[in-house]
Amino acid sequence: MIDSQNPQPARTEVTKRSISPTDIGMHVTLLLIGLIISAPIWIAVFSSFKLPSDMINYPPTLFPEVWTFENYTTAWSSQPLFRYFINSVIQTSIIVVSQIILSILAAYAFAILEFPGRNLLFYLILGSLMVPFQLTFIPNFVMVSQWGLANTYAGLTIPFLASAFGVFMLRQFFMTLPSELYDAAKVDGATSLRYLWSVVIPLSKGSISAFGTFAFLSAWSQYLWPLVITNDTNMRTIQIGIRFFLFDQERGADWGAIMAGAVIALLPTLILFLVAQQQLVKGIASTGLKG
Amino acid sequence: MQQVNQVNTEKKKRSSLADRFTRKKILSALEGYAYVAPTLIVLTIFVFIPIITSFQISLTRVAPFGNATRFVGMENYTNLLTSENYYHVIRTTFLFALGTVPTGIILSVFLAILLSYPIRHLSWFYRLLIFVPIVMSSAVTGVLFRWIYHPVVGYLNYALTWFGIDGPNWLNDADWALISVMIAVVWRQLGFNTIIALAGVQNIDEVYYEAAKVDGANLWERIRHITIPLLSPTLFFLMVINVINGLQVFGEIDVLTVGSRPTRTMLYNIYFDAFKGTPLRGIASAQAYLLFILILVLSFIQFRYVGKKVHYK
Repeated sequence: MIDSQNPQPARTEVTKRSISPTDIGMHVTLLLIGLIISAPIWIAVFSSFKLPSDMINYPPTLFPEVWTFENYTTAWSSQPLFRYFINSVIQTSIIVVSQIILSILAAYAFAILEFPGRNLLFYLILGSLMVPFQLTFIPNFVMVSQWGLANTYAGLTIPFLASAFGVFMLRQFFMTLPSELYDAAKVDGATSLRYLWSVVIPLSKGSISAFGTFAFLSAWSQYLWPLVITNDTNMRTIQIGIRFFLFDQERGADWGAIMAGAVIALLPTLILFLVAQQQLVKGIASTGLKG
Repeated sequence: MQQVNQVNTEKKKRSSLADRFTRKKILSALEGYAYVAPTLIVLTIFVFIPIITSFQISLTRVAPFGNATRFVGMENYTNLLTSENYYHVIRTTFLFALGTVPTGIILSVFLAILLSYPIRHLSWFYRLLIFVPIVMSSAVTGVLFRWIYHPVVGYLNYALTWFGIDGPNWLNDADWALISVMIAVVWRQLGFNTIIALAGVQNIDEVYYEAAKVDGANLWERIRHITIPLLSPTLFFLMVINVINGLQVFGEIDVLTVGSRPTRTMLYNIYFDAFKGTPLRGIASAQAYLLFILILVLSFIQFRYVGKKVHYK
């Protein structure tokens, strides 16, 4: 019935079969579920364009009655949300760049160079993944404050300059590179740094950018550390800023501005996800399972 | 004579080769240490040493009316373990994990099975819609759900009226506050969990399904007897990761309920004691150690008793 026009068995060639009622059912189901799951984001985006009077209408509507940018100007000006955003950009950039560079170097040493104690040091680094952040953040707070680094970009970023996860993930990939490449480069007289720069890194762009994406997502989303290490309003990151913005604005019930702030805070990671979705998904699927 | 000479030059050649070889080896070893050093230094200062200092701090208490810390031995630990209040905090933490971990895993497996159905068009789009919570930070998740839970004009209570349900005042109702936080956290982790689950589902060989179909198994039987058992390594991985993450949720609790009593978990209590009001870092560090031990014990139990039942191909 389904394949009356197509005498060949449908199951074997998925791409060639015609649309069946089950397919349509699946489309409808997936669309509905997808819209429900992403609903909090749609709600935030549409709410951020509503007028204050529109926000408190009952029953609540998804789309604004009148579209307005007012909430964004309020969010941008009434609190130093712009400053928070820039703080987050700086904090995240420092962490991501440092983690990528340090992880490439260490992963390269562990995967390709030979030195006594190599495995021991690698397992030591791997073991640090077992230590949860809540165990270390109080001593770190005491130490970083004593150094006078509270309320500075250095203080915000210093505990996260290296990533054991990044070392592990990149080492896994570097080890898949054929050792003949290294031997050939040595014969040609290339130093190992040169080999790293002109062979290993170009071949590992995919893995490095997948790790960079992870590093970005987790650095941008950080909460507990920026909350405790900053108390100067000017040094808050956007995540902490949006929390205080919420508590300030809620009294005035300016939910439109709060939603605008939330959208601003989630925009960078959302854009990154739209750009790098495939890589991110592949990275999670492979490190999550094969790791 | 000539022969001896030859042997001598040969020896010289060899020893200079060996020299060069060891020099190279030492240089290459130094290079290795140099590349590993930055990572190792950062981890030593901010992870390895704090494991010890954290324990030291947990054995102290700041004397009232002064800054002098004094050594109190295990007193912080015994005080915690005999405290009625702390028992409530532990109970909340367990409830939170029990509520979020199975829900999160069941939902993500369900979504993964749906997403693995071979449709020709738009599958990238559905994946996008379902994976998207992965971009959410805990702070923004908290803010969005605070709006959705709004007692008067909130979308959730409005949607519930369609089913004739009069929704509660989610965040301020002692019976619902923890569940509200759980829903937000399950939602945020759904993207990550589904990506992992989908990879697992897609790893299962089509052959098993074909064989089951020949045997006349229906959809549910195929899911129950093929997908679930062959997915067990993935399910196990998801369980371990979600338990660890579930014990360390912080942002949503802080934004949604500011750690009100019904939602005060072990990690929130650490933050509260160490940073709110008079800093009680000794007792906070003792709690951090208890939480660390709990994570280790739970992971051990999972590997020991559940890990064994996992099917590996």
